[in-house]
Amino acid sequence: MLVVNHVSKNYGNFEALKDIDLEFSSGIYGLLAPNGAGKTTLIKLLATLIFPSKGEILYNGTNISTLGESYREILGYLPQEFGYYKNFSPKQFLSYIGALKGIDPETLEQRIDRLLKLVALDDVATKKMKKFSGGMIQRVGIAQAMLNDPKILILDEPTAGLDPKERVRFRNLLSELGRDRIVILSTHIVSDVESIANEVIMLKDQKILYKDRILHICKMMEGVVYETVISYEQVATLKQRVFPLSERQEDGLLKVRFVAKGAPEPAWTAVKPNLEDVFLYVYRDEMRGEGAL
Amino acid sequence: MSLWQLELKKAFRSPVVYVLISLFLFLNFSLLYKHAGIRDELKVTNELVDKFGYQIDEKMFAKLRVYYLAKLEKMNELTNKKIGKTYKRANDFFAPSEYKNRENFNKAEFHVMMETAMIENYYESISNIDDFYRKLDLSKNALSDIRGYGLKGAAAEHTRHYYRKLGERLDELVQNGEHKTLFFFGMIYRMHALLFKDLMRSMIFQTMVLVVLITAHIVTYEFQNRTHLTAYSSKRGRRLMVDKLAASLVAALCVSTTIVGPSLSVYFLLFDYSGLWHVPVSSFFNREFSFPYISWWKLPFAAYLGLIVVVFIICQLFFAMVAYVISMWCKNNYVAYALFAIGFGVAVFVPGIMPKSSLALFWTIYTPFSLVLNPHLWFMGWNVFFPKNYVPMTIIVWIVLLTAAMAITLLKFKKEPIH
Repeated sequence: MLVVNHVSKNYGNFEALKDIDLEFSSGIYGLLAPNGAGKTTLIKLLATLIFPSKGEILYNGTNISTLGESYREILGYLPQEFGYYKNFSPKQFLSYIGALKGIDPETLEQRIDRLLKLVALDDVATKKMKKFSGGMIQRVGIAQAMLNDPKILILDEPTAGLDPKERVRFRNLLSELGRDRIVILSTHIVSDVESIANEVIMLKDQKILYKDRILHICKMMEGVVYETVISYEQVATLKQRVFPLSERQEDGLLKVRFVAKGAPEPAWTAVKPNLEDVFLYVYRDEMRGEGAL
Repeated sequence: MSLWQLELKKAFRSPVVYVLISLFLFLNFSLLYKHAGIRDELKVTNELVDKFGYQIDEKMFAKLRVYYLAKLEKMNELTNKKIGKTYKRANDFFAPSEYKNRENFNKAEFHVMMETAMIENYYESISNIDDFYRKLDLSKNALSDIRGYGLKGAAAEHTRHYYRKLGERLDELVQNGEHKTLFFFGMIYRMHALLFKDLMRSMIFQTMVLVVLITAHIVTYEFQNRTHLTAYSSKRGRRLMVDKLAASLVAALCVSTTIVGPSLSVYFLLFDYSGLWHVPVSSFFNREFSFPYISWWKLPFAAYLGLIVVVFIICQLFFAMVAYVISMWCKNNYVAYALFAIGFGVAVFVPGIMPKSSLALFWTIYTPFSLVLNPHLWFMGWNVFFPKNYVPMTIIVWIVLLTAAMAITLLKFKKEPIH
């Protein structure tokens, strides 16, 4: 079990994470928050790339800094900005990463072949990566993270650059992996985690806001999410009274999904909230800051 | 393949390394080619050593005299036959006024004259050796250094002490006859300077450039390629830097061998030292200036060459370590190159700004950067800035300093946040 125990991380006067308490056992954990909320900081702490200013991170009761090599041996990590050697082929690169992970050469060769097939790069295994697309590079990144068959797999924005087909395949792969290991999936794309995460962790103001099953998180907004079909002229008036979540054209009219706390109007239909509704509502201030809404 | 080997492989994937090695070797071969014209003349020295041995004593001198006179007679027979003239000294044949006569001789005949003149030079110089060393007054050198460098107080006293020590060594040298040995004529051919100053110094700087390039490349490779997050969170983790250190040091050895090996091989293929390996470098004939080379220890040429190569390699390892430490701190290879160059400049510049009365003037020269400026004077007493302990002390001090610097840097990196 991986335990984050009252962890804070400061950069000078800036607090990137405040008093984080988390527990991870086998399963998929979706770390969901907009950019800049502290996801990458938390992940780098788990990957031993940075160290807590306060608190500790324990794996099976021992501090991961003390465990050192034996902790990193069971760790697979895909960074948000995955770097690679342009003049290496995927096979050469994975061989090097395998050596860093201390995998014996015979096992390594078998694993590389298997993983390259799994991420559909077996036909370009010996081609230099400088000509690869973003999606292909990301798949090399996923393969390297899984190379040591890790017990803790940490993926920071793993679906960036993947096409829809690759995303679906990747999600299926993660569902399988999450059965017997900890998979921490950091993303700001709700659909990445909605269908596969056992639990979702939401960060806000550098703190943990929610850590719960998706169903429970969504339940918190039950009875306040509605949909209504209105003309374009009515949209401005409605937006003054409610918090809009999404809009969709429908037969020359607009179907608006929104959050309203007061008494509902007859034309409004109460709907079951989903994770995206929660995400948009919870992070409404941050999203406005980013100009998304 | 182990990790340090994988790191080493990265360094040698860069085409720049091969381009630079080729360029540097070409420059070295060109330098030697420019001097290749004297190789036949140098053979005379080896012939004399073959015939009489390199140690000069009365018996050897007597034999040399007989040999020289026979050569001179043979030469005069030839000149008498061709131009109806004989010479008292072989070197008279090479006087400017004789240029018309010289045109009457073919290459083989000309070689006889040249050879005789060379033997004559040795013969005549040997008579002057004792007198030359008797007249050496090191107190004048002390005064010259004190005046020349404007030394005062403790520094001036240190200079006088230095020359007293050098005087003791000179007495020892004269006593054991190190100076009375045959060697290439330094005043004519400057072979010591060609090998240890021109060639060796070029090789030092060439190898240094490669070593710094490669070391900074290896150390910063992950940061430059953005693979640092993956690499330093792997099982090997930050200890990868230890592998990078090993790779950098091995790369420095490889590059040193690649530059020094072919360059010295060509040098010794061009210039025949076969009879001179055991001749002490303090030989009177090795002298290239008014002051002779006085090695602090009795060092035969082969041992001296070996020591120079060893110090060369040690200096390159030092440069690799300095570049390693700089690269670890700045994590950018271009910044590392610039900082190394600045550091080199500062280290060379600092002794010049020290107070002329302070002993700090002498302490600040104990750096590999100052050391590599004059490889032809390593292990030699030359002036007050070349003390007996200069090379060994510099090596010891910098082993300690760099070991400490690397330990601190590695410890810092162990605790350092990696973003």
